[in-house]
Amino acid sequence: MANTYTLISSVTVGAGGVSSISFSSIPGIYTDLCLKFSLRGNRASVYDQIYLDINGGGTAATARYVMGNGSSASSGTTGAQIALGTGSTATANTFGNGEVYFPNYAGSSYKSYSAEGVNENNGTEAHASLFGSSWSNTSAITSLLIYNNGGTISQYSTAYLYGIKNS
Amino acid sequence: MAITKLSGSSLTNINKYDSFLAGNAAYDPGAYYLIERVTVGSGGSSTITFNSIASTYKHLQVRYVSRNTTALDSFLIRFNSDTGSTYARHKLSGDGATASAGATTATTYMASADYPTGTSTFGAGVIDVLDYANTNKYKTMRVLAGYDANGSGLIDFRSNLWQSTSAVTRIDITSNSNSFAQYSSFALYGIKGA
Repeated sequence: MANTYTLISSVTVGAGGVSSISFSSIPGIYTDLCLKFSLRGNRASVYDQIYLDINGGGTAATARYVMGNGSSASSGTTGAQIALGTGSTATANTFGNGEVYFPNYAGSSYKSYSAEGVNENNGTEAHASLFGSSWSNTSAITSLLIYNNGGTISQYSTAYLYGIKNS
Repeated sequence: MAITKLSGSSLTNINKYDSFLAGNAAYDPGAYYLIERVTVGSGGSSTITFNSIASTYKHLQVRYVSRNTTALDSFLIRFNSDTGSTYARHKLSGDGATASAGATTATTYMASADYPTGTSTFGAGVIDVLDYANTNKYKTMRVLAGYDANGSGLIDFRSNLWQSTSAVTRIDITSNSNSFAQYSSFALYGIKGA
């Protein structure tokens, strides 16, 4: 597996935070993409929704999810959301942990992808969520934009985009 | 006829390079490295330890299969030998009929899904720790694990929190009761991010 897994780009958020994290000009030379993220947002809650726009957001994604909040489980539908990240009232210094996997991201069919994320907190409420998502567009994925409900992604948040080859 | 002697005067159009890499594509070692793999022997083992983990990667991942010597069991996972009440854990769980969620806070260990006993059925899981060496962050672990024993089983999606900004340098995975049985196997990978 070693030489098939390549870092394309990474982002570490500096002081003051950012409104979004962007990966652009993603080359079509890999088989799959894997996005890993460790985020904290400024939403005044234990959690902060994390969203993903593909290729500028012109085509909306659709998704099904299953989620636990520390006391109960639920399931539903959503759009561009890929995780429930960590919000500003969660335990200090705590960041979420998530991953999105895009198989055949440069193919000519619609793009299906999976996302999973957790936001931790030293309290009963914390969220673990799994998403099955679809982007109804035949274009190759060339850019990804991560943003949150709160509007600001906090300092020390990180995101890493990997390309995965089949040879 | 075998070549027994080669002289410079017998060669034409010679290009001389000082490096074996000249003329070849740049070598890409990739970002995904096996740090260590532990496979349990015939006597079983109560604890799997990955120690002296270097900070040269961005993320850690443990992939495992596990079977208990005696009964259905749970994991105790700790970082850096910390046995204090510095952990929290949460789970989303399904048993084939019902989905549920739970939380444990201010606790002394982290966990993965329970794992089975039996002659040939193993639990399997993937554990991810992002930014494990980042000293600005507490460490959040993400776990997807489960098993099916042809009549029983479960699937867990879990998170664990270690409330420390220290780099993770040691991981202990302990069987709560009894031991990990023979052929249980744990592999630690490092994933580079720069």
